[in-house]
Amino acid sequence: MRFKFRAGSLRRRLTLWYGTLFGLLLLLHVAVATYVHYRQLVAQVFQGEIQDIETVEGLLYQTPDGRILMHEDYFNQPRMPMQLGRFFEVLDTGGQVLFRNQKLGTASIGGFSLPREGFGSYNERVDTLSDGRSVYVISHAHRIDGRTVILRLAYERAPVLRNVGQFLKILLLLAPPAILIAAVVVFQITGSALSPLRAIVRRAERITAERLNERLPVDDRHSDLGQVAAAFNELLRRLEESFTQLKRFTADASHELRTPLSSLRSMGEVTLQKDRSGREYREILGSMLEEVNRLTQLVDSLLLISRADSGQIVLKPSDFSLGDLVQETVSLVEILAEEKQQTIRVQADADLVVRADRTILRQAVLNLLDNAIKYSPPRTEIRISVERADGGLGQIAISDQGAGIAPEERALIFNRFYRTGEGRSTVDGGAGLGLSIARWAAEAHGGTIEVSPGADQGSRFLFTVPLRERSVGKIAESSDACASCGVDL
Amino acid sequence: MRHAPRKSMLQLQALAALQAMQILIVEDERKLAEAIKQGLESEGYSAQTAFSAQEANRLLGNGAFNLVLLDIMLPESNGLALLRKLRSEGFKMPVLLLTALDTIEDRVLGLDAGGDDYLIKPFAFPELLARVRALLRRVDAAPQSSLEYAGLHLDLATRTASRKGAALDLTAREFDLLEYLMLNRGHVVSREMLTRDVWRETSRYTTLDNVIDVQVARLRRKIDQPFSAPLLHTVRGIGFILKAWE
Repeated sequence: MRFKFRAGSLRRRLTLWYGTLFGLLLLLHVAVATYVHYRQLVAQVFQGEIQDIETVEGLLYQTPDGRILMHEDYFNQPRMPMQLGRFFEVLDTGGQVLFRNQKLGTASIGGFSLPREGFGSYNERVDTLSDGRSVYVISHAHRIDGRTVILRLAYERAPVLRNVGQFLKILLLLAPPAILIAAVVVFQITGSALSPLRAIVRRAERITAERLNERLPVDDRHSDLGQVAAAFNELLRRLEESFTQLKRFTADASHELRTPLSSLRSMGEVTLQKDRSGREYREILGSMLEEVNRLTQLVDSLLLISRADSGQIVLKPSDFSLGDLVQETVSLVEILAEEKQQTIRVQADADLVVRADRTILRQAVLNLLDNAIKYSPPRTEIRISVERADGGLGQIAISDQGAGIAPEERALIFNRFYRTGEGRSTVDGGAGLGLSIARWAAEAHGGTIEVSPGADQGSRFLFTVPLRERSVGKIAESSDACASCGVDL
Repeated sequence: MRHAPRKSMLQLQALAALQAMQILIVEDERKLAEAIKQGLESEGYSAQTAFSAQEANRLLGNGAFNLVLLDIMLPESNGLALLRKLRSEGFKMPVLLLTALDTIEDRVLGLDAGGDDYLIKPFAFPELLARVRALLRRVDAAPQSSLEYAGLHLDLATRTASRKGAALDLTAREFDLLEYLMLNRGHVVSREMLTRDVWRETSRYTTLDNVIDVQVARLRRKIDQPFSAPLLHTVRGIGFILKAWE
């Protein structure tokens, strides 16, 4: 299955999301800005009107016949940001219009006067002229020659609205280019940020079972993608390791299975070449069954190895006495030694307690002991000592008086399927796995195994395993490490 | 031959009981199925083979079987599915599962589905026979206090043995071994069975095979050497049998 990474889609989606969000925020900004701008303008307009009305008050006068007039040479403009049409009328307290400026003509500002209009406040308001124009109106009460009149000043509203509209239009026109620029920038940035990912994808697509040694490019171990690549590389390393083990296992297995298979085959073929007696047939069939048994045990061993290799064997630790374990193993197999008139002498320190997987350790000791019995001549002695060694280790030493192991073979005998030069283990039907299982057992528990020449002659196998006081809390670690221990099983 | 009439009566009874035993073998590997069928028939059982779950279903619908040997990996349909179906339909006969899947999880799965026992391929035929006998054994097989066969006498309470009245000096292991052989008298006992049932080891390995061989040889010396008719025989390639040849 090819892992297809759509590089464009993440980038596009990021850009789209960012653009939309940016646009929405921009619109909110425009709306708020426009409203604030409008409020400010209106406030300025009323401010101007209040200044204006005070100027106008000074220009009003009353004719002798009681009419109110204004010196129309009034061009004074309040400080205003724009030119506004100004309307002005004067009413008496009864609501009678006494004066209107020319611009207002016959139209009127608001109708009847408000209650106490212009007294104490300016009654700032938005109103409509009788001709329909919308205006900002203020009123003020004023005394001319002892007569109270109400002045109404109105500024046209349309220019203010136009101004605000203009403002809004400019902001809105600027929004699309701003969004576009932002989107382009985001598109570029995500593109360059994701480009290592594309490189990783391209490389990953090239990696196959045969090319597991390839690794992903890591530009910067500390960047996010660098960490991703490093994690993938670690995964690849583990995969490669398992794969190599699997390949080696398959090669070993097929090689080991071939031998018993070919002997089975020849036995069958040779037997069928001529007629034989029933007794002969029984003998041959029995012999073939023995071969089948060997084959079955081999398959079991191979399965065990493959499970150990892939780290599927989980250690089940318990506390037990190392001396007891050795005694138990000895009593199980001493019958074999008796047959060869060999004596097994055990010297065990009774207080050595280990925390380990008993079944696995027992198998290891059993294999070592079995080897010692097998390769020792009759009427010899096998010595086993169980004692404390340096570094919090328990040590099992098994010395035999056999032929010994050649120096050049000492490192090799723990390899799986290794048989010594004489091919001695083939005689006993061993697959050359006993010592490799013993080594795996030692290493899975954080111990060691080694062989040295015996004191007088023969070999001395030294098996160590951490004692409980040291191994508590370490066992979890070593069961994790099991996969790598199994590599060399 | 003082015991002869009594023994042949027993054998006849046993044979009659066996003949009633119908065993269905569900196994897609035809060679294996045929071999098991022949083996069971030569032991006096009546056996039929089914090479697929469908065929097994049909046969089970037609006749009553006392025991089913069921392969888990069948073509098209899984043996466990068949087993669950049988159990849900109320079939109560014991089912012995045969499979090459040997992890603990597989076993648990098989037993949970309603299997009564579990045998991993490749298995030794004596082992299969022993399991079949165990599954077919009647509940009335009360624990015995002594065993008796061809002049051999085992007192299980005092753990003493004698042959034709002469006491045999057996070690504890030898006594266990002889007891097991007596319980399975007339049937071949494989090294796997001895590994599991007498030595109580979880797995078989070469060292233990050697130990078993030596132990059997010693036992043979003790029970057979002083007598003219040997009882304990080695069946090459298979195992051992305790049997008086007539």
